Amino acid sequence: MSAILEVKDVTMRFGGLVANERVSLAVHPGEIFAVIGPNGAGKTTLFNAITGIYEPTEGDVLFEGKPIRREWTAADRVRGLAVGATSAAAAVLALNATALWTAAINDRYVMGEPFPWGGALATVPATLRDAGFWPTWFAAAAAFLVGRLAFGAIWRAQRRTPDLVARAGIARTFQNIRLFGEMNLVENVLVGMDQHFRSGYWACLFRTPGFRRERGRMRRRAFELLQFVDLADEAAEPARSLPYGHQRRLEIARALATRPRLILLDEPAAGMNPAESADLMKLIRRIRESGVTVVLIEHDMKVVMGISDRIAVLQYGKKIAEGTPEAIRNDPVCVAAYLGTEELG
Amino acid sequence: MAAARRNPWVPVAGLAALAAWPLLEPALPAWLQLGEPLTEVFVYAILALGLNVLTGFTGLLNLGVAAFAAIGAYAYSIATCEVYPFQLGFWPALAVTGAVGAIAGFALGAPTLRVRGDYLAIVTLGFGEIVKDVLVNLDAITKGTQGINPLPPPSILGTPLEARGQYWLYLGFVAATFLGVRALERSRVGRAWISIREDELASRAMGIRPDRAKMLAFATCAALAALSGALLVSRLSSSGEPSNYGFEVSIIALCIVIVGGIGSVRGTLLGAFVMVGMNSIVLVRLTEVLGSGAEGMAAAAPAADAGAPAHAWHFVRTWAHNVLLTPTNWKFLLFGLALVLMMIFRPQGILPPRAVHEDPPAPAPPGGGEAHA
Repeated sequence: MSAILEVKDVTMRFGGLVANERVSLAVHPGEIFAVIGPNGAGKTTLFNAITGIYEPTEGDVLFEGKPIRREWTAADRVRGLAVGATSAAAAVLALNATALWTAAINDRYVMGEPFPWGGALATVPATLRDAGFWPTWFAAAAAFLVGRLAFGAIWRAQRRTPDLVARAGIARTFQNIRLFGEMNLVENVLVGMDQHFRSGYWACLFRTPGFRRERGRMRRRAFELLQFVDLADEAAEPARSLPYGHQRRLEIARALATRPRLILLDEPAAGMNPAESADLMKLIRRIRESGVTVVLIEHDMKVVMGISDRIAVLQYGKKIAEGTPEAIRNDPVCVAAYLGTEELG
Repeated sequence: MAAARRNPWVPVAGLAALAAWPLLEPALPAWLQLGEPLTEVFVYAILALGLNVLTGFTGLLNLGVAAFAAIGAYAYSIATCEVYPFQLGFWPALAVTGAVGAIAGFALGAPTLRVRGDYLAIVTLGFGEIVKDVLVNLDAITKGTQGINPLPPPSILGTPLEARGQYWLYLGFVAATFLGVRALERSRVGRAWISIREDELASRAMGIRPDRAKMLAFATCAALAALSGALLVSRLSSSGEPSNYGFEVSIIALCIVIVGGIGSVRGTLLGAFVMVGMNSIVLVRLTEVLGSGAEGMAAAAPAADAGAPAHAWHFVRTWAHNVLLTPTNWKFLLFGLALVLMMIFRPQGILPPRAVHEDPPAPAPPGGGEAHA
């Protein structure tokens, strides 16, 4: 079975702090995979490295066998040249605007008489020649370089952004819930569905029939997702007015709205009472049954041991164990490192 | 906390009252002849609705929105004035103005995508000043501080509009802008903007591309601001001088948005009526009343009180007249006061944005649970 998510020797270093050191994981399709470890073990950092919030200092993250990374395409090349050319044209214009305009318009237009449009552009070469060959071309070349290099630098910095990862099929929730508090539940889910909308700016502005049909369809789907996580009754409430446990479930609905093949849940049971976490376990199983692979970070051992197929244990940024819940429970290293005597007491 | 349904007749009644006003004017006393100042309110309303897209929805503080209005005003002036060879009609010139404005929005937006919060505010502030200086110094093209005139008045199908026709046309532009901005707000475009304002990282992680959304917000804001600039100058028949589009204009637009309710389309519209209405209607009328009263007093004074020291009446005529009896001079004081009071008592604005734009659909038939599959 080939892995849906493969983390290969990922190291995350922040200055002198090593948050993850050569962590490797392989998550199989259809699995519920848990990452556990004491506070500060680097679990959330690992999630951030997977979802493109951080770029791993070393190592690779493969999703369905491939790295999620923008490739330099022919379109990017054209775009880069266009940005350079625009910068060059802007620089030439900025230096010669007055001369160009005077020669093309002011010197040739007599008020009240028809304007000879034909010759207007013909004045440009002569004007630029008079402006001096070297200053003009030097400015154009320098501006072209600056524009093209800036485009390249920005492109390089954006090779693996969170939106690209989300669009590739990995969705996530956040440890410190990050909902859009002023929006209601339906709208929060609709934000997650954004990439599946077809209507563009003009369709939205003029509310075309296609836009209206799509809006109705998407709203119904959002509402179904809220039913899926048992929040349909509160669909019209603003998200910030929800109780904590419900907010966690709304985050899951919003992540599912992106139609992921892999979902990363960062402490989904935090702040939930035992009844709520029992419901959460059912929900996570239903997510898996619908064909989405689940990776979760969790401290609630009941949840972790209850639903996980496999568990990886992190400590001080390193993976110290991996295996079935049974194996982890009986692994003396793990018990010493993390579970402790109180938890299993 | 479900959102209360607003009465849909309020905007309809407001629009009807505004549309009927010029017809009622002949029957009204002089101090209620509001066509002229209300047209000014409309121009500012369009500017503020544009700013609300960028600063209200997307959360990008722009302190230089007047620069876009200036670009629009000059683009329109150059496209229409007879001292240039282009001499487009009103409507083609407006289309050019909108396009030039949108390009200017992209030009400012693209390099500032990584700049946020206070830093962006400073960049936009600088942009506003630079545009003003460029317009002054590029005098071969813009006629510098003279301004460009005369400009043809707004027209429909080649028929120039007089004051009343302009009033209706501009009211129509406000209504169209309002509907357009609201349509955007309640679509995926507006949701992307608002999600970026609320939490940019979370919206990115949900697949929203913030760069595109921000560029669209910049272009929309700039195009609307340019439109308002064009409408302003075509009514005045002159571009005015570049310093007319200075920091004060940007700040007035921002005050309108903040006082009305930042991020609220209805609030911004109301804010334009409150702020510009206060400035161009209330203060002007008050000045007229006080001024005529003071003149009466001054005229009566020497006869009634010949023995009084001359400097007492001098005081009334000069200092008191200029300051106490001329409330139009208080406008920035009152704008500041309005802002301070709003920040203390109602920071969300007079009409804060509605939390909810999408109503949930009627419950689907049971068993529709496998939604995301």
